[in-house]
Amino acid sequence: MSEVVVVTSGKGGVGKTTATANIGAGLAILGHKVVLVDADIGLRNLDVILGLENRIVYDLVDVAHGNCRLRQALIRDKRFEGLHLLPAAQTKDKTAVSPEQMRELCAELKEMFEYVIIDSPAGIEQGFRNAVAGAEKAIVITTPEVAAVRDADRVIGLLEAAELTDPKLVINRLRPRMVQRGDMMNIEDIIDILAIDLLGVIPEDDHIIVSTNRGETVVQDQRSLAGQAFRNIVWRILGEPVPLMNLDGERGLIGRLRRLVGLG
Amino acid sequence: MAVQNIIKEAAERKTVLVQRTLRSGQQMSYDGNVVILGDVNPGAHVAATGDVIVMGILRGTVHAGASGDDEAVVIAFRLRPTQLRIAGHIARPPDQDANNPNQPEIARVKDGVVVIEAFPPGGERQTKM
Repeated sequence: MSEVVVVTSGKGGVGKTTATANIGAGLAILGHKVVLVDADIGLRNLDVILGLENRIVYDLVDVAHGNCRLRQALIRDKRFEGLHLLPAAQTKDKTAVSPEQMRELCAELKEMFEYVIIDSPAGIEQGFRNAVAGAEKAIVITTPEVAAVRDADRVIGLLEAAELTDPKLVINRLRPRMVQRGDMMNIEDIIDILAIDLLGVIPEDDHIIVSTNRGETVVQDQRSLAGQAFRNIVWRILGEPVPLMNLDGERGLIGRLRRLVGLG
Repeated sequence: MAVQNIIKEAAERKTVLVQRTLRSGQQMSYDGNVVILGDVNPGAHVAATGDVIVMGILRGTVHAGASGDDEAVVIAFRLRPTQLRIAGHIARPPDQDANNPNQPEIARVKDGVVVIEAFPPGGERQTKM
């Protein structure tokens, strides 16, 4: 029972690629066979974030065009057994593959892996349509900003139109202190607008900047708050009802969070 | 290996001069030698059937001898490639302990592996006052 999940957001820079890398690594750490597909053709980043850029020989476009076999393009992660990457091409653009080719590719990957996680490009044009073409489930990432939430709402509508109903929400880069002061949208505000199930909340964390620049993930880092948040998301994907963690000792918030995930 | 020999062999092929920096996503391929008067950034891709000379910093991916010439070489003012390919050989820098000398270097195939050496040979000595 494999599944194909697309990670998308509409807006750029909210953390799609970082979330894809960390969720994939987290699943691999727990012994699952995972492939991450970089659908951001022409602006690939997932390989850099995973520190695998120098291993790329063939890419997704080569596979789609039959220049190589799928197995030749797959890169095994250097740290996590079971984690694989199908890199995007950098010298092409989104029109280099069609939604139909992506559907075929996803079907083939689904036979080989338990989790196929597709990192969508920003935007809602062909790159987005390619990314969602072969997906069965969707994770929408947003940050607590009006513009990001607006774009997430737009994307949820487009996902529904593509018959990807019931997407899950990840709120990234939350700053609990600012929420407490009323200077940042809180989780309830965002859920009120988007009205989809919450998969997790990731606090702003300096560890992320360091790790992504080094080509590493944070999900294995026991000291990182974001790493903990990603581990919780991974457990929830696996069906474990992990409560949302207490961000920065906020009393009262945790109770509300619990209710939001149906645990209170 | 004498510098003269490299130049002589290179002269048997056509050579193209690229007077700009190649940025991420830009690629070029050429049937002959390529000389780049600029940098090759990460994500850029250069393929040549002959030699590739970068008069700048090579940070991207270069494929010399792309049609199978094992004798092809890659020379750069600073050789920091994402990946180096010569004919059918593919090399990448080590994940740790990258030794990055501040001098021009040459990459070529020796005994079936890609090796990197100072360029010109004994170039370190020439910098002595």
